Amino acid sequence: MWIPVAGLPLQLRLSALAGAGRFCILGSGAAMRKHLPARNRRGLADSSPQLLPEPDFRNPPRKASRSSLDFKRYVTDRRLATTLAQIVCGKPNRPPHLLLECNPGPGILTEALLEAGATVVALESDKTFIPHLESLGKNLDGKLRVIHCDFFRIDPRSGGAIKPPAMSSEGLFKNLGVEEVPWTAGVPLKVFGMFPSRGEKRALWKLAYDLYSCSSIYKFGRIEINMFIGEKEFQKLMADPRNRGLYYVLSVVWQVACEIKVLHMEPWSSFDVYTRSGRLENTKRKEVLELLQQNLYLIQMTPRRNLFANSLTPMNYNIFFHLLKHCFGKRSATVIDHLRSLTPLDAADILMQIGKKEDEKVVNMYPEDFKRLFETIESSEDCTYKWLYDDTLEDV
Amino acid sequence: MSVLCWGRGAAGLRRALQPCGCPGLLAKEGILGGVCGPRRSSSASPQEQDQDRRKDWGHVELLEVLQARVRQLQAESVSEVVVNRVDVARLPERGSGDGGPQPPRKVQRGATGASPVPRSGWAQRLEKDKRIQRMHMQQLEVNLQMQVQSQSEELKVWPKHLQVEPRLLSKQLAVFLAPESSWEEQLPRVLQEAPRKLRLTVGRAPSTQAQLSGQQQKLLAFFKCCLLTNHLPLAHHLLVTHHSQQRKQKLLTLDMYNTVMLGWARQGAFRELVYVLLMVKDAGLTPDLLSYAAILQCMGRRGQDAGTIERCLKQMSQEGLKLQALFTAVPLSEEEQATVLKAVHKVKPTFSLPPRPPPAVNTSKLLRAVYAKDGPVSYPKLHLPLKTLQSLFEKQLCVELASKVCVVSVEKPALPSKEVTHARKTLQTLRDHWEKALCRVLQETKNHLEVEVHKGRFSLYPFLCLLDEREVVQMLLQVLQALPAQGESFTTLARELSARTFSRHVVQRRRLSGQVQALETYYRKYLHLLASDTKVRRAPPLLLAGASPDAQLSDHPVPQVPNPCLPRQYWEALGAPEALREQPWPLPVQMELGKQLAEMLVQATRMPSSLDNRHGSSRLVPVLYHVYSFRNVQQIGILKPHPAYVQLLETAAEPTLTFEAVDVPMLCPPLPWTSPHTGAFLLSPTKLMRTVEGATQHQELLETCPPTALHGALDALTQLGNCAWRVNGRVLDLVLQLFQAKGCPKLGVPAPASEAPQPAEAHVPQSAAPARKAELRRELARCQKLAREMHSLRAEALYRLSLAQHLRGRVFWLPHNMDFRGRTYPCPPHFNHLGSDVARALLEFAQGRPLGPHGLDWLKIHLVNLTGFKKREPLRKRLAFAEEVMDDILDSADQPMTGRKWWMGAEEPWQTLACCMEVANAVRCSDPAAYVSHLPVHQDGSCNGLQHYAALGRDSVGAASVNLEPSDVPQDVYSGVAAQVEVFRRQDAQRGTRVAQMLEGFITRKVVKQTVMTVVYGVTRYGGRLQIEKRLRELTDFPQEFVWEASHYLVRQVFKSLQEMFSGTRAIQHWLTESARLISHMGSVVEWVTPLGIPIIQPYRLEHKVKQVRGGIQSITYIHNGDISQKPNTRKQKNGFPPNFIHSLDSSHMMLTALHCYRSRPLCRRKGLTFVSVHDCYWTHAADVAVMNQVCREQFVCLHSEPILEDLSRFLVSRFCPNPTPRKISQCWEASQLKETLQAVPKPGAFDLERVKHSTYFFS
Repeated sequence: MWIPVAGLPLQLRLSALAGAGRFCILGSGAAMRKHLPARNRRGLADSSPQLLPEPDFRNPPRKASRSSLDFKRYVTDRRLATTLAQIVCGKPNRPPHLLLECNPGPGILTEALLEAGATVVALESDKTFIPHLESLGKNLDGKLRVIHCDFFRIDPRSGGAIKPPAMSSEGLFKNLGVEEVPWTAGVPLKVFGMFPSRGEKRALWKLAYDLYSCSSIYKFGRIEINMFIGEKEFQKLMADPRNRGLYYVLSVVWQVACEIKVLHMEPWSSFDVYTRSGRLENTKRKEVLELLQQNLYLIQMTPRRNLFANSLTPMNYNIFFHLLKHCFGKRSATVIDHLRSLTPLDAADILMQIGKKEDEKVVNMYPEDFKRLFETIESSEDCTYKWLYDDTLEDV
Repeated sequence: MSVLCWGRGAAGLRRALQPCGCPGLLAKEGILGGVCGPRRSSSASPQEQDQDRRKDWGHVELLEVLQARVRQLQAESVSEVVVNRVDVARLPERGSGDGGPQPPRKVQRGATGASPVPRSGWAQRLEKDKRIQRMHMQQLEVNLQMQVQSQSEELKVWPKHLQVEPRLLSKQLAVFLAPESSWEEQLPRVLQEAPRKLRLTVGRAPSTQAQLSGQQQKLLAFFKCCLLTNHLPLAHHLLVTHHSQQRKQKLLTLDMYNTVMLGWARQGAFRELVYVLLMVKDAGLTPDLLSYAAILQCMGRRGQDAGTIERCLKQMSQEGLKLQALFTAVPLSEEEQATVLKAVHKVKPTFSLPPRPPPAVNTSKLLRAVYAKDGPVSYPKLHLPLKTLQSLFEKQLCVELASKVCVVSVEKPALPSKEVTHARKTLQTLRDHWEKALCRVLQETKNHLEVEVHKGRFSLYPFLCLLDEREVVQMLLQVLQALPAQGESFTTLARELSARTFSRHVVQRRRLSGQVQALETYYRKYLHLLASDTKVRRAPPLLLAGASPDAQLSDHPVPQVPNPCLPRQYWEALGAPEALREQPWPLPVQMELGKQLAEMLVQATRMPSSLDNRHGSSRLVPVLYHVYSFRNVQQIGILKPHPAYVQLLETAAEPTLTFEAVDVPMLCPPLPWTSPHTGAFLLSPTKLMRTVEGATQHQELLETCPPTALHGALDALTQLGNCAWRVNGRVLDLVLQLFQAKGCPKLGVPAPASEAPQPAEAHVPQSAAPARKAELRRELARCQKLAREMHSLRAEALYRLSLAQHLRGRVFWLPHNMDFRGRTYPCPPHFNHLGSDVARALLEFAQGRPLGPHGLDWLKIHLVNLTGFKKREPLRKRLAFAEEVMDDILDSADQPMTGRKWWMGAEEPWQTLACCMEVANAVRCSDPAAYVSHLPVHQDGSCNGLQHYAALGRDSVGAASVNLEPSDVPQDVYSGVAAQVEVFRRQDAQRGTRVAQMLEGFITRKVVKQTVMTVVYGVTRYGGRLQIEKRLRELTDFPQEFVWEASHYLVRQVFKSLQEMFSGTRAIQHWLTESARLISHMGSVVEWVTPLGIPIIQPYRLEHKVKQVRGGIQSITYIHNGDISQKPNTRKQKNGFPPNFIHSLDSSHMMLTALHCYRSRPLCRRKGLTFVSVHDCYWTHAADVAVMNQVCREQFVCLHSEPILEDLSRFLVSRFCPNPTPRKISQCWEASQLKETLQAVPKPGAFDLERVKHSTYFFS
């Protein structure tokens, strides 16, 4: 459990020292600095030659990130790191994949991964960790590369100028020497990380758009993603008609697109939670208490080889998305009602073709049913106008 | 037994009816009455306490009665139900108010009516028992009623007859339902009855429409609408059903009762009138002026005898209502007024109408010259003779009566191929089908809605009856035709539909009520003022000529017409009756109606699934689909046409466009504005002040302010609207030529969407890699987006050019109105002088003026101004430049498309071209001074916002930099600020500031321009920084990594420089902002009055969504802007106040200039000059530029010579500082702070305002 302290950046050291749990969870960096007791800072600064990082005014922390619920979670426990490294790297006899590790932080897991023989690219969004991470890969002749980059802000959809830690996938992958491979080929690389504790849903949507449109990272092939995800979102992601309360658009989108495997489960309760004011011991805050009762799930999402085998393609995926949003916009209604707003074709006929009854409810349709429904309409040949959809219906 | 009690109870009640001051007790009693209501009594009234003699007797009787009643009910509860099951026909009787439950109620009421308050122990016990028993009984009765009601609802489809007789809660009033004497006899007695109970007047008497709840607004609108559509029995029915249920009765207000009463009065239906009056009393309301007006009108119609009328009038005066006010404060039509007068004359033969107050004259100091008595005698004439104007009027009237205008599209006509003919034929067949289907659906809907009303529920039935069914159907089809291919949001469509319905309804009503004839008469007389071949004497003689329809009204003395006679004054002097005001429907009704219409459209229109199929065997599919669009978290319902239908429309390429009448310029001079709701279009309703949807506060403010305060604005708007326009044919030809070819985006002529770039590869094989497909999709999406944008631009241009083509060779007018700050805008949206360069170039004055000695020079200067080449040169250099390039000018004029095309390089190419042609014509004329020019010449304020600030603060430096100070060369404030920033930068650089050193050589006019310009309009440091950042990013040689730091530094320097130069400006801005913040904190929205007297209110409040119309296709959610109970939005109030205030000043300046222009004497003999404006850009004939410039400067000086800020401070203090000071300490402190701030008016500098008069470049 003891980790070398000297090389660690300041803010991390504190939590690492105090953190007894298997993960260590940090509040946002700026906030930590601000609330540090002065004595402590001086005392530690003595043994650390590094300068305090200059506050970055260009990207002032957003208001949202000040929330005490906005944690950063890092793996700090060696045993867990080893377990995870084994899980992610797979069997030792297979040729190791290139592994992108998102926000490795203190680098405990990175070390474990390197030990397991993986070639790791560490994408770290917090500048303060970078010197330490770089020091880890000194004697490994290129098995570790550290890049200042936020994985969840690769090719931001908002457009505009891309400033680090946001990055363009094109530049990043070219830099790494990753080549594009066809969709039907194997997995070109793996990604390991954790969904941001806030905005898991947003991250999932962004990845889903990228995946279906074969853009951003998915332009380079079927990239496998291994991520820790919160319990709530996990259950929703895996839901289907048997669990209709949680069933929603993203469940269908992801289950259609990927094979989803659960690799590992780690309870929150064994972690220490850190907020701005330091370690959180006895909290009465409802949100935090709720979080503590949940688990984190490590899931593996491998895009399906046959995703684009039929008439669902990157050309028309947005119609598929629209269909799903429309259906789940009023999920208690019957499918046929929605179809009447989606296509000028004969709705009853379509339902018959996919073998569904006319009074089938939206929540009773399995993800594959939706895909079949879509493909049936898309490939119906006798009509010029298959959809009422056009791009104006969505702000992409 | 029951009869006995009945009589005695009534007698007792009569005695108890003197108003007694114990509302609390009474109210409680009312609650005890429970759902069944009728058992409420006045037994608790203290005055009955001393009726001891009756006490014992009463108790015995009571017990007996109660027991009997219980037995009876028990028996009935079985028998009635049985009977009901068997005998359906008996049921409707219940509803009529006189049915089953009535007799028992009588027993009950009579009994309790005599119950005294017990004193001794046994009495208390008895009382308790009695109460318990009563409660039990009530329960029983309630259950019984509910049972019966639920059954009756199941059994009867709907009652065959409407309820006429009310069910009254008060028994003493119920006596009147079965009168011994005639209804006429009853009336005064009912009037004398005191209201049943004192209602809590605070909550129950909303003064404005905005304070009513949505349900109440709907009800009131329903009653009013029923009156219009002759569905009075229906209205009465709904009133009665609502009145008879306690919960629903709470919704009713006196206005609603009055409305129905007025309806009966118009029909002279006495019995029903008394019924309503009884309900008014029963609801505890006191009749007001409107009620009395209705009563008297009814009596006038029936030829009532003097005695009854006299008693009515007596009662009226007892209630403190003045007879005179009947004729001044109540909006009655002439005929109605005459009827009321007839009734009054029977009692008071000597009574005469209060004399019409003489037209008041605005006494504002700024407008003194305009309204002075010794001004020029006549108003500037148009160039057209009376005959022409009259025939133009006929044309415009026809257009407005039809509500729509068909215009030939200027799109290149499709070749008459087989395909096209087939498509047109198909379309026509489909439309015929739809018309029939729509008719059917409309009828079905109406039937269904009528049933709803019969069931006692609000419905849209009368609103759907307003218009002829055919007209509704036509309107719906028209909307369907104009639906864009990508669909339209459901809410927008609903709004549009209800607005169109309302507008058509108003027009139809005016037509039916004979107002069109009156309008015709008066308008013809009015034209004498404007026509070129008529003379107007001081007091219009027309007033006396001809028998006007208002014979009774014209017997009072001819009002003295002040001179000069402005159009409004003239119109008022003609004595035209004010057009009936149609209140716009409340928002909930609008939305519901629009929604209903839209749903009908969706429901009715169907087409075959494949249009090519000529056998017609294919199945029918809807034409309109309700689709959801997903934007972030919002889900927006959209109505989208079937793509095949869109395709069909495109193929058919129909050659006509249909516009609403109000979207097209007028063909005759607009009606002069005479009040906040009359003016502009002849029949279609137009608002003086445009506002956000549903906001009523502006209109209310305008209605309530003294009429003279608005004179300035009304006259200025009339003045602007009276300018006659025509289309510049030569320019139009050239534009059309380009338009019908491939367009020319560079010159502002949009290209057709077919010109949009196509993706390189239209189709990819199925086998292509997903990544390849993805790429293609993105490209496709890009292309489609571009095509859509091009399509919308193209459509906009198509509308504009088609209208221009439609108006070619005609004279037309652009009626004006204003926004909430007083800035003026032309009403027709597509084609007006506020538009783009093309639109402006297409317009010229219909009235020409000889250039005169200096006109040609002004034309040339104007030409150079339009090119934008010599912005910072003095006038003579611009003139010299024009001479220099005269060759190019002539070449451009002669061969615009084939020559050297010099004009295309100008900043405003089309206007430049139009000017080139004018100059060429003038130069080639034998005598240029006599050349008649139609081209408007512009004079622009240089940074007008800052000019006003500088004048307010009397900043010397600032004034000089925005050309308030005379100077040989035009000053450029942007360069000035840049120079000042440079000074600061150099200082900082010397001090060693790194950013300052970095920025050396980068501080230019361009970098600071946008920020300086927008500072006036309240840009903050944050926004300013973003603007500067953008500029710096455009500089390629500036090190980009410093952009953030540099922009941060620069924005501070710009603000600092502005503070230095315009020291007063910042202080004033700060004062305004702070005042607005504090006012908003006190919970009010900021209001002020412009120097011209227009009341202004900032409408920004915290938004608050009202989920409104549910059911049907989708529920509609909208923001209710009219809700004045919402808290103000402090941020918007605060940020909006400075720019809005400055806008109210610049609009005042413009109006003053407009008003003074008409009476100044230009160099030639004609009086008045043509004046129009685009905010701070003033237009006139080349010959009159000098005069206009002079007026403009004089008026600026006059305006700012007023103590504007002091007046504002005084007004705000009187409006917002609570007096006396509030009780809460925190509020007290806030109030004192507010007062302190408001009174701390910034001190002005030392600039001498008079110097503006000599500044050449103030407006140039």
